[in-house]
Amino acid sequence: MREKLAQIERLKMRYGTVNAVTDVSFELYEGEILALIGPNGSGKTSTVECLEGLRKPTGGKIELLGCDPHENRRQIYKEIGIQLQETEYPDNIRVKELCRLFSAFYDRPVNWQALLEQLGLSEKANRMVKKLSGGEKQRLSILLALLPHPKILILDELTTGLDPEVRRGMWESLKQIRQSGTTILLVSHYLDEVEYLADRLVYLESGRSRFVGSLDEFRHFVRSKVPAEDWKESLTLEEIYLLMSPKTETLRWEGIL
Amino acid sequence: MKKVIAIFQTESRLFMRDFFAFFFTFAFPVFMLLLYGSIYGNEPTPYFEGQGTMDVSVPAYAAMIIGVTGLMAFPLTISTYKEQKIYKRFDASPVGKGMIMAVQAAVNVSMTVIGFILLFVIGKLVYDIRIQGDWFTIALAMLLSIACIFSLGFFFTALSPSTKINNLLCYISYFVMIFLSGATMPKELFPDVIIKVSKFLPLTHVVNTLQGTFRNAPVGQYRDSLVVLAAVMVFCVAAGALLYKKKSWM
Repeated sequence: MREKLAQIERLKMRYGTVNAVTDVSFELYEGEILALIGPNGSGKTSTVECLEGLRKPTGGKIELLGCDPHENRRQIYKEIGIQLQETEYPDNIRVKELCRLFSAFYDRPVNWQALLEQLGLSEKANRMVKKLSGGEKQRLSILLALLPHPKILILDELTTGLDPEVRRGMWESLKQIRQSGTTILLVSHYLDEVEYLADRLVYLESGRSRFVGSLDEFRHFVRSKVPAEDWKESLTLEEIYLLMSPKTETLRWEGIL
Repeated sequence: MKKVIAIFQTESRLFMRDFFAFFFTFAFPVFMLLLYGSIYGNEPTPYFEGQGTMDVSVPAYAAMIIGVTGLMAFPLTISTYKEQKIYKRFDASPVGKGMIMAVQAAVNVSMTVIGFILLFVIGKLVYDIRIQGDWFTIALAMLLSIACIFSLGFFFTALSPSTKINNLLCYISYFVMIFLSGATMPKELFPDVIIKVSKFLPLTHVVNTLQGTFRNAPVGQYRDSLVVLAAVMVFCVAAGALLYKKKSWM
């Protein structure tokens, strides 16, 4: 029986009059890669930021590593690694200086020079962070997230905006990280990425979790929801996702598809 | 403590790499001292009640340093970190944005003090400036001045919805105060109308306070300035803290 590392129950998150998350529930188990997918505005980032303790939910219950993440943030951050959707660093800081700074935040950090090597950044150690390419910056953000030797790594749109070659490189890095025993929660818009990496997925729509389960279970779930003539056994995860997407419905109604 | 030292080292390095902050905190006041010193020298003159021009100018240039760090370097760093979500990244670590901001304030205060020391040492070596006040009183006056001007910078960051507006507020207030407070040229040269306007500028009261404590003047001569500095500090800290409570850091 795998250990349950996180549990979200009937999560709600409201910003003023906007309900970003209305009813999200799922669990995260030790050693898995769980993907959070859904259309823009479906509540993925709000859900993840509540789980990370960065936001206080307006309703529901969250437990991360046995405690409330918002109430125990500083403690939690010693055991989880976070890559935010938008991350910037000070303008005039060098890669090695940023690594050294973040290393100082943890009692027993991973050797950052070894991580630079592992992520193919050792030649960039003296470079200013602002001069790194998009892919290099993303690898640096993974490196910083890995410094605490995290039990859980939370990655929010890690490969958005990267070219296919760099994305593939990232996937291999994530596989290696998982093999070393780290549990990964991955927010992604790329279904090929989810298909390649994830063990299970959570499908969010309009602030609700509509599906939680394995990729095969997702296939069965969608098959039961769509007309038989739309279904083919050879469909990729992306094609299955499009069958579920409310935007696809709109396009279909308008006679576009 | 390891965390604080690491942040302090990094932020100090970033301060030194910022050309504007470095130049105007360390080089420009010394350049002004040497330029005006080479023109006027530092002979005692009845115009400054027996003090030399440089004796009067050094505390004024010290006020200029407080203006640079308190109204430019410190608030511009805060607003940039906030707008670019750099604080948010630190907030997702065991450190948190509060510690980062506190250390950034400490770094800027330290740079201000280093700027003072550089100015005094060069003033002493080159023009043999005379400091008649006791160092304890001078240090207290400097601390109050730093607290007041840094609070004003903090208030601007709280008031501004964006870095652009914050920069505008900081630049305008800095340059108006630098030229009208007596920090760059003696107030005695100003026409009456400018002297009246300058009384509304906090940096004028920094100049008054520092010049008063440097020449060991009776407290009564700069008591009003002390009150203004304390009042500005209390208002800016309270109002800034209230405004920050309503801001989103996400």
